[in-house]
Amino acid sequence: MVANLLIYGLVNSVVLMLTALGFSLTFGLSGVANFAHGGLYLLAGFLAWIFINSFGLPAALGMILAVIVVGILGALIYRFILMPVRGIVLSEVISTFAVGVAILEFFRWKGFVTYDFSLPVLVQGSVKISGVSIDYQRLLIIAIGLALALLLWFFTHHTRIGLALRGMSQDEYTALSVGIESDWAGMLSLALGAGLAGVAAVVILPLGIISINMGYDVLLIALAVTVLGGLESTTGLVVGSFFVGYAMVITSTYLGPQWGEVVYLGAIVLVLAVKPSGLFGKSKELEERV
Amino acid sequence: MLKVKNLMVFFENALAVNDLSLEVNEGEVIGVFGSNSAGKTTLLNTIAGLTRHLKYREQRKGGMRITINGEIKYAGEEISRLKPSDRVARGIVLCRERHPVLRDNTVEENLKLGGYLRKDGEIRQSISSVYELFPALQKLKARKAGMLSGGEKEMVAIGMAMIAKPKLLLMDEPLLGLSPAMQHEVVRGVKEICRLGVTILISEQYARPIMPVIDRGYVIENGTMVVSGTGAELMENPEVKSAYFGA
Ligand SMILES: Nc1ncnc2c1ncn2[C@@H]1O[C@H](COP(=O)(O)OP(=O)(O)O)[C@@H](O)[C@H]1O
Ligand SMILES: [Mg+2]
Repeated sequence: MVANLLIYGLVNSVVLMLTALGFSLTFGLSGVANFAHGGLYLLAGFLAWIFINSFGLPAALGMILAVIVVGILGALIYRFILMPVRGIVLSEVISTFAVGVAILEFFRWKGFVTYDFSLPVLVQGSVKISGVSIDYQRLLIIAIGLALALLLWFFTHHTRIGLALRGMSQDEYTALSVGIESDWAGMLSLALGAGLAGVAAVVILPLGIISINMGYDVLLIALAVTVLGGLESTTGLVVGSFFVGYAMVITSTYLGPQWGEVVYLGAIVLVLAVKPSGLFGKSKELEERV
Repeated sequence: MLKVKNLMVFFENALAVNDLSLEVNEGEVIGVFGSNSAGKTTLLNTIAGLTRHLKYREQRKGGMRITINGEIKYAGEEISRLKPSDRVARGIVLCRERHPVLRDNTVEENLKLGGYLRKDGEIRQSISSVYELFPALQKLKARKAGMLSGGEKEMVAIGMAMIAKPKLLLMDEPLLGLSPAMQHEVVRGVKEICRLGVTILISEQYARPIMPVIDRGYVIENGTMVVSGTGAELMENPEVKSAYFGA
């Protein structure tokens, strides 16, 4: 039982972290709360499905292609939807939310509502770890989640472009005065975040059936985890994911599965009431951030 | 090298820079003196292109209306329409007021970022020359810039600007809020930078501490140029003397 909780709690936590990673990165680097996150996530899933099933591409190729397309769409969202309202937080939230809803409802309209849509797992089979059996796809999710978190840390701390994006996020005018362009930085931040939403989708969705409402859930999860950890902090994202991840698994084991979702929604409310800047948030208070 | 002619900058209907003309020749260190909200920052930001950036940002979202009129010529080229990054690429680098550094980044990361438009090899070399310019920074290189004192931050900010390889360095109140010892250190740095062949336009509220390095100065009040001349000439003007040299 304990080994079971530990292992599935870990899987669940990494799934949450991966789900929120793109949202958190975009917010951290550009200050944009991209409410199209859930829509982009699902778009990547359906695109991968279409590439694989309608165009007959190999699974891995279809998935990579879907990630790239969604990444490019992220840049376009910045260029054509966010640029005109840059700096007006409410407009940013409303317009990105509208894009997300448009994507999700487009697929509903096109009839992507049956139980026929699922992505292939990349590696078949399972192993037993201290008596608990776990499939390779879930192990792959853990590996990819942890590798991406490390990679992003390296990218934002040790590469020219990463440092430039972080610089732009901390002090726009100082970044401008050393020659960094703010719209370029914004486009790149959105593209990276959207691409990460895509990666999360293509590795997580093979665990089940793709359904449209997941798009809305994904956005809520991203909000819960990042609000909990503090929107601009990477450590916060990791800790927030593990906190919510384990809490969900524990409550659904002992109280029943319907309590799992209550946990992350409750976590948002609780954290906002107690410490609005998030458990690891630095200075900014909520009204400035969401 | 730099010729500003009849520059006017409006924020909505408020005139921040009023029909201002000035000239900076290669190799000179020029002072711009004026009290709080005289228009010094607006002048330097407009030369660096930040005002233009703000103008378009505001225009896009239908916010404040900013109007910029007049000519800014740099090395014979009209640069008023260039983006900030294109001006940096031409050698116009601004070191903003109140020593803005990236607080969450280390000193060395800050300096590296200064060389954003340059090659890796050149950046490394420039960073070591900044450590020669301000030896105090060498020991602080792994420290988060947000933890530094005002004077140390100012040195980092100047270092960042130097790594961008300026031909014309714009410095906005580099001495503001620094202790006399730190002011002395920064003034020494300015002298050294000038010796390296960089042309400098420097703004201050109080002229006296920076006067030893200034070739010529302009005094602006409410956005308008009131007096210009060499240091000695400025000192001869009794009003200027009492306002900017502390009697
Ligand atoms: N972003 C801005 N929005 C509106 N007004 C501004 C802005 N920046 C400067 N001003 C106004 O322009 C005038 C000049 O300010 P500034 O250039 O900052 O002066 P200084 O640097 O000499 O203290 C002031 O009256 C100030 O209120
Ligand atoms: Mg000023």
